[in-house]
Amino acid sequence: MATKATLTLTSPDLVSDNINFSVEATLTQAGNSTDIAASTGLARTNFVAGGSAPFASKVIFRSEDATADGANKIYMKNTSSTATEFFTIFIDQEEMGRLYAGDWAFFPWIASQGTKETFIVTSAGTVAAGDSWDFDGITTTSADANSNNFAAAIHAENYPNWTTTISTAAVTFTAREAGAAGVVTGTTAITGDTITDLASSDLTMNITSAVAGTRSEADIHVVPSVATTMVLEHMLFKQ
Amino acid sequence: MATTTATFSLRSSDLIPSQVLSLTTSKRLYKAGSSSEGVDHLKMGRHKLSSGVAASDLFNADAALNQDKSNYVYISNASTTKSNYVEVTVIGEHIGRLYAGDFMWLPWNADLVTSDISVLAVNGESTIDYALFHEGETLVLVSA
Repeated sequence: MATKATLTLTSPDLVSDNINFSVEATLTQAGNSTDIAASTGLARTNFVAGGSAPFASKVIFRSEDATADGANKIYMKNTSSTATEFFTIFIDQEEMGRLYAGDWAFFPWIASQGTKETFIVTSAGTVAAGDSWDFDGITTTSADANSNNFAAAIHAENYPNWTTTISTAAVTFTAREAGAAGVVTGTTAITGDTITDLASSDLTMNITSAVAGTRSEADIHVVPSVATTMVLEHMLFKQ
Repeated sequence: MATTTATFSLRSSDLIPSQVLSLTTSKRLYKAGSSSEGVDHLKMGRHKLSSGVAASDLFNADAALNQDKSNYVYISNASTTKSNYVEVTVIGEHIGRLYAGDFMWLPWNADLVTSDISVLAVNGESTIDYALFHEGETLVLVSA
């Protein structure tokens, strides 16, 4: 069975005749009849009480969660029962609409994506046991005087905001999320790393290649209207 | 006051094998912040969108439309050619593609006079059905 979405609109008195129509869509991939096969599952996000306007937004879906230009669909519902409470939905910086209490939305999502910052770091000079390199809050200490082993140790760490790959003594860092994180400051320069060179004082961690990122311009944010607890229900169907 | 109800359901037995999806939600369309006054204005129709033509405003958020109110937008792509899609834009931001048979339902608060909703047919002609349930607007005076 495929995934089917149905909308029914009824009104006995909006116009002079009854309105009663229904439309059903089978959720398929872009440009073909293959069923959508991936989703985030139905979930809820709590917005806790407190703070003052403007209230903090939350990112509900990042563009990287889906295929750009795919036949992605988003479902959202404001579960509040207080009529005046609403969520404002944004795509990137643009305000799309307000979900008042009980309101729901179902719309296609382009998920156009930005690019991730990336750089390559390679140690040069003399590495000694005890030398270290600190980046993204992670300090890697060299166990010996082998630069390849030092690179492997750097690659073996789990960085909160970056992933790594390795080629001999060169470690490539790639940001986990698209955006202009500000770490890459030039084609051969980054900021925020620290070297501790115990002995020879000639250890360097050269940035041999670096590319700044760009932010995604289709992330879905929502902002609550009040400082009471509100709950947003949501689901992403993705290609 | 008009009584208009929008009901939505999602059903799938195999999208998440361990969790049958069977969701139904229903909402009477009220004016912004109200739980008693129903939305009482409607625009609806059908357009044939030619491919290769620049994007056009389907709903114009000009000063005549009540801003930051309860406006509900319905658009469906009635095309049967799978590769044809309609690109939907809000405030100049592409939000997504309505492929053949797809529909969307979006609360739209027409926050700015530039918060227009526009549509563009891609890969071929598409016919769209549309409706805007809203709280009213001031008709624009005829130019002298």
